[in-house]
Amino acid sequence: MRRRSSQLSIALVALILGVLLAVQLRSQNPGGGLQGLSAQELTDVVGNLNTRNEQLRTERAQLQAEVQQLAEAEARGENSVGQLQSDLLRIQAWSGLLAVSGPGVRLTVTGPIPGLAVQDLLNEMRNAGAEALSVGGIRVVAGTVVAGSAGAVSVEGTPLGGTFEIAAVGNPPSLTGSLTRAGGMMAQLRATLPEVELVVTPVDRLALPATTRTLTPAHGAPRL
Amino acid sequence: MTSIAARMRTIPTWQLTLGIALLALGFLIAAQLQSEGPRVTYTSQERGPLVATAQGLQAQQDALKAEIVSLRSQIATIEKQGKGSADQVRQLNDQLAAARVGAGLIALHGPGLVLQLQDSTNPVPPGDNATDYVVSAKDVRTAVELLWLAGAEAIAVNGERVTASTAILDIGGSLLVNSAYQSQPYQVSAIGPADLYARLTAEPAFQQFLRDRGERFGIRIAFAQPPDVVVPAYAGTINLRNARAVPSGSPTAP
Repeated sequence: MRRRSSQLSIALVALILGVLLAVQLRSQNPGGGLQGLSAQELTDVVGNLNTRNEQLRTERAQLQAEVQQLAEAEARGENSVGQLQSDLLRIQAWSGLLAVSGPGVRLTVTGPIPGLAVQDLLNEMRNAGAEALSVGGIRVVAGTVVAGSAGAVSVEGTPLGGTFEIAAVGNPPSLTGSLTRAGGMMAQLRATLPEVELVVTPVDRLALPATTRTLTPAHGAPRL
Repeated sequence: MTSIAARMRTIPTWQLTLGIALLALGFLIAAQLQSEGPRVTYTSQERGPLVATAQGLQAQQDALKAEIVSLRSQIATIEKQGKGSADQVRQLNDQLAAARVGAGLIALHGPGLVLQLQDSTNPVPPGDNATDYVVSAKDVRTAVELLWLAGAEAIAVNGERVTASTAILDIGGSLLVNSAYQSQPYQVSAIGPADLYARLTAEPAFQQFLRDRGERFGIRIAFAQPPDVVVPAYAGTINLRNARAVPSGSPTAP
């Protein structure tokens, strides 16, 4: 009798142990943090993944077409200079090594704004599909940071002064809509920095200069 | 020792087994409670399929990104063998190779550091905002910006390369980087000068970040300095729907 009850309690403990172990392992690797999100947030994640995957499929299709064109041109013995040149322009324009022009918005900033707030505005414009950005006439590339405390901001070592412009090339309605929406970045900044004036204007054609940086790494090497 | 050994022998084995099992049980309960952490866990019915859908889409995305990186390297290879005036093609290929590296389309490796940010495990005092105890997009953006200012030349967040058009956004308690879903721990890998760590930690703005987020709310901020930091290639779209390249030498005035 005593033996049976001990076996029973061991079995019971082993069962609980097994269940807890399973739960523990699950919570250790919960689909990359997805388990911590609400249904609404998960819906947002799914929507975002869908959009992004669609963009990636478009990019893949373009690249596949390019591979085919290059292979055909090579088979015909044609020269590939045209293809090389257009590729080069595209990559240089996107990274900031070349000047670009196009429609977009101009955001005029007046008043003592801290660098971090300008960075928040740039982040918002990137999210709204800005293809090229400049601050105070200086092209923003990877590594460009608008820094400094309110009233003393500078970019690439150049002080910005009391009034300056952020220019973004992209779809003007998307950019304007994203910046001015209720609860958007401009509304947030107006609430936290009432003395800063922000005016956004859609523009048919903006001209952004190339960066003065080389973008050539001095410390890192390509990993092939 | 001998008395313990003697007592051990007198304890029936089933008690010993039970004791060990209970000990393990205690550990697991503690680990379980700890891993619940400050994050809320939801239990509504509709979440299961959503999580599965998100995981499926994420797997698709990983595959697409790998294909894009591979196609770009295929193009580079074919272009290198391109015909035409040999000198002109060689020159263009050199320029293209440099442009791809500069744009972040090629993975880099070199000296640098990895900065890791994780949610606080501190209990949230009543009246405090629980979101202050979670790593936000702003925290990760601040880390990236301070690393750029300290001299970093290439940065990735959880493997997503930070380019001229990268946005880092909040989604729930997690992040979107280049529109890709990322959850903590957030690892910001940066390549830069050998003294990048010293430069970063000497920045007053970084010290303030440690105080405001680390000390005040318990956001866990850790460093690693591996001998070789790898920053992967950007695997997203090169979006130029509205912008037109103005080749150097052309007039840029509107």
